[in-house]
Order: sequence, then structure tokens, then C-alpha cells
Amino acid sequence: MLKRINQKIAVILASFAGVYLILSYSLPKYQNAIIDADVVPKGLGFLLLFFAVLLFFDKKEETEAEKQKRTLSKSNFLILLAVLAFILIYISLLEILGFLIMTTLFIFGCSLFLGYKKHFANGIVSVVFSVAIYGLFNYLLRINLPAGIIPF
Amino acid sequence: MDAFQGLMSGFQVAFSLQGILFVFIGVFVGTFIGMMPGLGPISAIAIMIPITYSMDPTVALVMMAGVYYGAIFGGSSSSILLNAPGVAGTVATAFDGYPMAQQGKAGKALAIAAIASFTGGTVSVILLMLFTPMLSAVAVSFGPAEYFALMFMGLTAISSLSEGSTIKAFISATLGFIVVTIGIDSQTGTSRFTFGNPNLLEGIDFLVIALGLFALAEVCTLVLNRKDDTMSNNKELGSLRISKQDMKEMRGPMTRQSLLGFIIGVLPGAGATIASFIAYITEKKMAKNPEEFGKGSIKGLAAPETANNAATGGAFVPLLSLGIPGSGTTAVLLGAFLVLGVQPGPLLIQDRPEVFWGIIASMYVGNIFLLILNLPLIPYIAKVLRIPRPMLISLVIIFSLIGVYAISFNTFDLYLLVAFGIIGFLMRMVSFPAAPFILAFILGGMMEQALRQTLTISNGSLSIFLDKPIALTLIGVSLLTILVPLFTSKRKLTEASPEKQKNIS
Repeated sequence: MLKRINQKIAVILASFAGVYLILSYSLPKYQNAIIDADVVPKGLGFLLLFFAVLLFFDKKEETEAEKQKRTLSKSNFLILLAVLAFILIYISLLEILGFLIMTTLFIFGCSLFLGYKKHFANGIVSVVFSVAIYGLFNYLLRINLPAGIIPF
Repeated sequence: MDAFQGLMSGFQVAFSLQGILFVFIGVFVGTFIGMMPGLGPISAIAIMIPITYSMDPTVALVMMAGVYYGAIFGGSSSSILLNAPGVAGTVATAFDGYPMAQQGKAGKALAIAAIASFTGGTVSVILLMLFTPMLSAVAVSFGPAEYFALMFMGLTAISSLSEGSTIKAFISATLGFIVVTIGIDSQTGTSRFTFGNPNLLEGIDFLVIALGLFALAEVCTLVLNRKDDTMSNNKELGSLRISKQDMKEMRGPMTRQSLLGFIIGVLPGAGATIASFIAYITEKKMAKNPEEFGKGSIKGLAAPETANNAATGGAFVPLLSLGIPGSGTTAVLLGAFLVLGVQPGPLLIQDRPEVFWGIIASMYVGNIFLLILNLPLIPYIAKVLRIPRPMLISLVIIFSLIGVYAISFNTFDLYLLVAFGIIGFLMRMVSFPAAPFILAFILGGMMEQALRQTLTISNGSLSIFLDKPIALTLIGVSLLTILVPLFTSKRKLTEASPEKQKNIS
């Protein structure tokens, strides 16, 4: 049934359009508004549905380059997941431990994980970069990045 | 204020110590980021936005404009040296630039590119200066119906001209528009699609989308290609010298493509990429010995380089005069304007002449800086290409996270950023273009407002569009651009050199 990748995507998009349309129809109505808040979302929902149908019946075959683009080996997938995990840890601890500590750890750890072997250079870059950005934002631009447990 | 007076006041901004400093910073950073494979002007502008928050808007925008054309410029260097264009707009540069570099004439190729870019950039600034006030004068009389029609045309144009499947481009644009409907509706106060989450009431910030779909998605691609060692290639540059004969050969393409590139840049949807391909193809057709093209032809290098820089200037025309971006990059630039509280559009010249003329004047200065940067400093700047990939990846991630955190001071937006990074990566995998998404996201809010104002004026009747000849024509053209490519098989400009296509993105 769903032979081509485009057909699978079309089904996902159509379901998304369906959910979006249901939400649009349940938006509250205002008597006085001539053009209410739900008009544009409804239009967009139907438009997406229309394009999803077109995509479903689109006969164009996938080119070799396109096919290659979407192949992802298991090891690469795991590496991407690990980087994602690093980012999520960074975000969740950013306001607790502070920008300086987290950024230094992130740059050092992430570069090391991705295969950067010069530990000394890595250490220097991660410290200098974090301090420089922190100084630039907090003292020159007056945008306060989270200090966390460091008192300045 | 007439144009001459305006330009003089603009030069006062551009030649102030601050002006010179920030134009320099802008073009330098732009060149730097543009050189990195994959990181184009959109990422460059988005990364730089947080730095401008506390700056004077005029100086900040002068810098951002510098980042934009600096990034286009920088992209040409990595095209020539590595055959790895940093930006789609410089893909055509690699066709003849890279063969020249392989023949040991990298220095000469860089010099030709620098001079061609300088010419294209400067000619387009002159044209920009002449045409923008004229278009602004016309656009002052535009009502919401005309604005809606204009933005609609911009969106359909970028979708039907983007690479790959047109249907996918339209889906991408529709999704961008859908995302912008999240948040409180500005006219009725209804909260839409927020699921009771207070963080979503104000909608999603465009920087989250821009950095997610472009910078973070690029990070994923960099992670996958992290072992690619073309980066550490260290070739001899050779002499930068250009002979009189070479100059003579460059003159023709530079004159023609400055004009053509500018015009293509003004058109909605078409930008540096299309301008450079058209330039390459037209020069090849006109050349006496077209067989030299692709083997290191001077004309083949000068033409796309002139055109992509001319198009960059051209893209500023609709942005400054109508307040409507014609491409993904100018859409992000519009975001930068809005962050600083400057609304580009027909009233910009009257209300904020110092911003308008400051940007124009700074472009003359910026082009000279680029020439200076590119000629003697390129061998040193090229070292940036030797930054180890793992380090580059970590730094780009941090830049994206800081950029979003500095506008919202809220980790919720950081999680959203990551989500859009994943969406951007998935979109790349299944070949959905991201530029229509970001343009629709930026234009969507304005389009909805214009449409609802128009229909409120007419009491809900669509016939109002029939009474407005300008709006009707624009909508007619847009519908044609949707229907024609959807139902006919189109020939792509980019098919001109399919084997080179593999090297981008």
C-alpha cells in the first residue's frame, strides 16, 4: 500500500492536518468579529490536507541522491541521539549550575565525544570561549546569562 | 530629504567610528561564518541577532547587513578552495573556481571572485539607492489588500522556485504558516493552539525557528560528516595577481551580470542562488569558447560571483521599500529589524531616514572592506576551514542555545529550539526545503492580519479583491506560479550541472 516514502509522509501530514482542523473548529467564537480567529487556521488546515493528497498521488520517483540523504546508519543515529542527550542535559542544568560551568563542560565533553583528541587545546578553547562569551554578554551587552553557583 | 542629502547623512552614520567598526565586524563575522560549510547567511544573521539587543538600531542594522553580504562573500572562498560551497548562492562559483584552484591558481581565483563580488555589490547598491525610494513612494498608497497580495506572491514564488519538489515546498510553507498561528490572536485575543501552556501565549519566537531549522539541522549534517577531512586540505594559494588580459575578460560578464543579478534579486523568491546559475548559463551561451567553462574559465567564475552579490543588494529593495522579504535570508533579516523596533516598509525613509540611508551608505563601505578582507587576508581567514569539526559542532550548538536564551531567558524556548532542530533535520532527510517554512513563518502573521483587515473592510466579502486592480493582478500571478509547476513537469535550472549538485547541502 504505502510503497513510496512520499506516501507515508503524506499520510502523516494528512493526519496532522486533521488534528489541526479539529482544534481549529473547537476554537471559541466571538459574535462581533467579522473575521474570527478560526478562519485562517481552518483555511490552512484544508490547504495542508490538499497538498498532502497531491503528495500522495505524486508519481515522481525518488532520485538516488534523495534516497541517500535519508539513509542513516545505526551508529550515526546513536551518535546523534547522544549529542541530543548532551544538549538536553545542558539545557536542564543551565540555570542551576550556570552558564560558565555548563558551557565549558559541554564544549569539552561534546568535542571529546565526537572524536577531538587534543585534550589540552580542547580544554583551553572550552574555558576561553565560555569566559569570553560570558564576559561579552554580561558586561558589554548587559544581557545576563545565568550565573548559577558561581557568584559573579 | 532628497536622495543626495539622505546619502550624505547616511555616510555620516557609516563613517562614524562606531559605524566603521560595526560594518567591519559585520562583514568579518559574515565572511567567517559564510566560509564554514553549510552555515550560510541565515545561520550567520540568526547567530548575530542576540548581540544586537542592546545596540543602537541603526548601527546594529548596518552590522547585520554586513553579516548578510559578508556571508555570501565568504561562501565563495570555500567554494573555490574546497569545492564545498558554504551557501547555495555560491555553488556556481565552484564550477570554475575549484578547477582554477586545482591548477594552482587559487590566489588568482580568489582575487577574481573578490573583484567580481565588489563590482556586483557596488553596482547593486547604486541601483538599490535609486529604486527603493521610488518603490516606497508607490507603496505608500498600498492598503491591506495589496499587502496581502504581495506577501502571497512572495510565498508562492519562493515555493515554486525552490529546489526539488514543488509540492513539498508548498507543504513546507503551509507548515510555517500553521506554526505562526500558535499563540494569542492579535485581533480577538483568542489563545490558539497553546494547550494551556503560558510559554506559548506570545507565540514562538522566529529565532527559535531560524536557529532550529537552519543552524541545528546543519549541526546534525556536520555530525554525520564529521570525518570528512577535506577541511584540512592545505593547498598553495599561488599568486593573487590578475593580468590586464584577465581584467578585459571579466569586464563583459561583470557589467551584464551586475544588472541582471540585481533584477533577479529584487524579484520575490529568486535570490542569489538563481541569479548565479542564470549568470553562469547566460555567459556560457554568450561565450566564444564555451568549452572552457567548467575547466577554470575566468568568465565562468566572474559571472556567478558578480550576480550573487548583485542579487544580495537587489533583495534589499522589497525589504526596505515594502517591508516584505522575498527570501528566507531577508525574512530572517526582517526579524532582526523587528527585534530592534524598526519596521521596514514605505514609511522607513520618512520615519527613520538615518536607518535607511545608514544601511545604504554602509554597503558602499562594507563592499570596500570585503575587498580589503578578501584580497590580502584570505590566506589567513582560510585557516578557519581547519577548525576541527567536533569543535565546530560544539560551538555552533552553543551559539544557537545562547541566541535563543538571550531573548527569552527561559529554558522552555531552548527545548522548542531542539524540537525545531530535529524537525529541520527530518525535513532535510526527506528533502523538504526549509526556506519556504521560515518565510511563511515571518510573513504569516502579517498576512493573516492584512487578510482579516481587508475582509473586515468588505464585511467578509472576497469580492473586495476584484475591485483592487493591483491586488487582483498580484494574486493572479501567484495562482499561476502555484498551478503551472504543480501540473507540468518543470525543468530545473540546477539541472545544468547535476554532478556538482551532490556537493551541496
